[in-house]
Amino acid sequence: MIKERGRVTVREKVNRHKSISIILLLLLTIPFMSGCWDRVEINDLAIVTAASIDKKDDGSIELSIQVFIPKSISSGGGEGGPSQGAGGATTLVKSDVGSNLSEALSKLQGKVPRKVFWGHCKVFVFGEGLAKEGIQEQLDFLLRHPQPRERANVYVSKGKGKAILESLPPLENYSGEVIKELSDLHLGLRVTLHNLDEMLTGNSQAVALPFIKILPPAKGEAKLQGIPYIFGTALFERDKMTGTMTEKETRGLLWLKDDMESYTVTLKPEGIEGLISINPISSRVRIIPYIVNGNWRVSVKVDTEGTVIQNGTKLNLTVPKSLKIAERTYQKDVEKRIRLTLLHLQGNGDDVIGLAKEFYRKYPKQFSEAENDWERIFEEMEVEVDVTSHIRRQGYINKPAGLPEKEVKDR
Amino acid sequence: MIRNVGKLLDKRKVKKADIRQPDQDSKPEDPLDASFSRNVETFRSIYDKCSDVMFRSFLLFGKTQAMIIYIEGLSDIGGMEENVLSTLMQEKTVASQPLHEFLEHKLPVSKMKRVKTIAECIESISAGNPLLLYDGEGDGFSLGLSKWEKRAIEEPVAEGGIRGSREGFIESLVVNTAQLRRIIKSPALKIQSMKLGDYTKTTVAIAYIDGLVDMSLITEITERLQRIKMDGILESGYIEEMIEDNPYSPFPQIMSTERPDVASSSLLEGRAIILVEGTPFTLIAPISFFSLLQSQEDYYQRYMVGTVIRWLRYVFMVLSLLLPSLYVAILTFHAEAVPTALLLSMAASREAVPFPAIVEALIMEITFEALREAGVRLPKQIGSAVSIVGALVIGQASVQAGLVSAPMVIVVAITGISSFMMPRYIAGIAIRMLRFPMMLLAGTLGLLGVMMGVIAIAIHLCNLRSFGVPYLSPLAPMKSRELKDVLWRAPWWMMDSRPRLTGEANLYRESPEQGPKPNRGSEEQ
Repeated sequence: MIKERGRVTVREKVNRHKSISIILLLLLTIPFMSGCWDRVEINDLAIVTAASIDKKDDGSIELSIQVFIPKSISSGGGEGGPSQGAGGATTLVKSDVGSNLSEALSKLQGKVPRKVFWGHCKVFVFGEGLAKEGIQEQLDFLLRHPQPRERANVYVSKGKGKAILESLPPLENYSGEVIKELSDLHLGLRVTLHNLDEMLTGNSQAVALPFIKILPPAKGEAKLQGIPYIFGTALFERDKMTGTMTEKETRGLLWLKDDMESYTVTLKPEGIEGLISINPISSRVRIIPYIVNGNWRVSVKVDTEGTVIQNGTKLNLTVPKSLKIAERTYQKDVEKRIRLTLLHLQGNGDDVIGLAKEFYRKYPKQFSEAENDWERIFEEMEVEVDVTSHIRRQGYINKPAGLPEKEVKDR
Repeated sequence: MIRNVGKLLDKRKVKKADIRQPDQDSKPEDPLDASFSRNVETFRSIYDKCSDVMFRSFLLFGKTQAMIIYIEGLSDIGGMEENVLSTLMQEKTVASQPLHEFLEHKLPVSKMKRVKTIAECIESISAGNPLLLYDGEGDGFSLGLSKWEKRAIEEPVAEGGIRGSREGFIESLVVNTAQLRRIIKSPALKIQSMKLGDYTKTTVAIAYIDGLVDMSLITEITERLQRIKMDGILESGYIEEMIEDNPYSPFPQIMSTERPDVASSSLLEGRAIILVEGTPFTLIAPISFFSLLQSQEDYYQRYMVGTVIRWLRYVFMVLSLLLPSLYVAILTFHAEAVPTALLLSMAASREAVPFPAIVEALIMEITFEALREAGVRLPKQIGSAVSIVGALVIGQASVQAGLVSAPMVIVVAITGISSFMMPRYIAGIAIRMLRFPMMLLAGTLGLLGVMMGVIAIAIHLCNLRSFGVPYLSPLAPMKSRELKDVLWRAPWWMMDSRPRLTGEANLYRESPEQGPKPNRGSEEQ
């Protein structure tokens, strides 16, 4: 009995050894079967730094990509650090046409010897022509493809987007970088692919994208050395561009979106000679929707603090009385800007601030009933703007610089 | 083929009979013969063709035959001539008492032992103690006059430091145990010795502090040591490999040190020390993974410094294991995971490189290992030449020739330096070795492979034990009381409890509440 049991154990042992060795062999094959084949070296990647999508006159889609040329900043195996040739381009722009974006891309791939890699493309530019006819179809590709980042910035260019990619900025490595850096300064709108998707699917179905164009090169600069800059906002109804906003109106939009960061408000206090410039350092914007007796109204409450960066008047701002004057002027100015923007938006019927969402959150029932009529409601809506402003800092000096003591007014 | 592999594995399992023939000569347990001449005959035949064994015969009281047998170079010839030969040869009067009593009274030698068997005699002679044989009583004396050339106590080469004792262990076991005893003067320090190796008969000593150590640990170590049956023990590394818990692990489960202060601190923590004749490297058991990352200086410097340096070491240990594989994985599979600017400059520097990143990394890492190994073996003067050539070839020429990218050189350099940050050389090597499979995994499966490797290593480490102590303790299993010596180096006035290794003997090592405060000394308590 015991002997038999022993024999069984030996046989089991043999079987176990066999299975272990089979498992080991299978495990050994894993590295060779999977990974190696989709391995792509950096040398074989065409790193896209920016892309633009235009619509041709014949209705076809033109995709242009700005591809980084590694050789341009490499030491090329020679001596010395990165030797960036003065005129040498760091990027190259290739484009091709197709009936939609993916077809254009597959054709384009045939012209680029390396695999197109979207993982670092942080700038997508829609040409004005395409934007006017609708961007939804092409957006689908960008959001579906695993490589393009959802955090990439989206822009609309005046004229063709390809021109933006082709410019060779003197300061940055490539033009995509220029627009991205400008967006990071928060001087204009900053909209990512993800935001765009949210706005399109949101309640208001209105989109605002930064509008860019090429700043013509200064005297003495080469022809292509103009840089792209954000000069306003493109307004969309659903996915079609319907209008634009100027830079000034964009500022008001930034206030409404609570995205004010670094720009200077220059004011002229009433009845006083000279100008005061103020930098907002913090702001808090609350948009409160309410429905009273069937009247849809919205109240915008802005709480802002600023710092004086230039005082061209003779006012001594350390005196509360004078400070009050400056604060009141500041408050009026902000209010005016916001009203200007709202007026424009309401005139256009583009709810890019997302008021629809605010109403939907607070009054879901009423909103659902009135949803189809939203555009009219928005256009006729009463808006209260309530700005509270304070000046908290005055920089290194208190009294106006270079002014004799007796000329400083304490009022 | 698979069946054959199975068969091979099966064959291995068959236990081999012990067919080794141990050293036959030294076996005899026979007692010494009553006849002096027959004894001399025996020893002459045992030490046949041993030109270093000296036989010096003389007469006691002018008539009794006597002989001294010793090994040249192992015994103090001056002492022998002065204290033994001259005393005995000048003695003319026949003693009235028995001869062995007379010799014990007469000889001015402090360490004398009466020996009765041939085996004892051989042991005495081999140890350098001259054997005194005389006619009549069938016994002899082992005279404690051994003396041989040994190295002076020097600063330990492999474990230097800024602060702390500069003494290191040497090759002589007696000197080493004396150094331990000089630090720990309490009689609770016990040193038990045994002889291992059929031919070398190496003395191996287990040191521990009675009352601090768990005695079952000592029993276990003794048992494992006694299982060793081999020709010779030349270094403590032999023993280390023979008594480890898991022989198939790249990680050392027993630590070696050549510093008496490190050995003493281990003793005070309730660990055991194994000293081996002929090597300055003594073994410490049991240990945990974190012991390998602690250096004696952590405890000598201020505790904040100690803590910061310890964390620096942890970070660089991870780097030395993972940096090249992460670099390879990100470069070949996850180009989107690096910041754009960095990717562009890496792409630019890799532009001219003809190899895939994994090949490039392997080439560089292997070259670095080769250079390091060459530098260790070579004499100092040539070693510097090697490092110059290495730095020039690896660092500059290969980048200029476009064979290797500059970031890769930086990665290899950081990895190389970080692997030298491990205070225990052997642990650094273990990590360095694991780097290569990790790189292969990274080159084939990307970050997924790296994660698989890390998980496999973590599982292995959790599984490992050193003389029953979990290798990752006190982190896993978690012992919050002991984290004070892992997550940071607690100041000495807070290091109140001893690490719990295998038992709970004598848990506290200092009185509580000793934190220094101003005026403390002059105040009455």
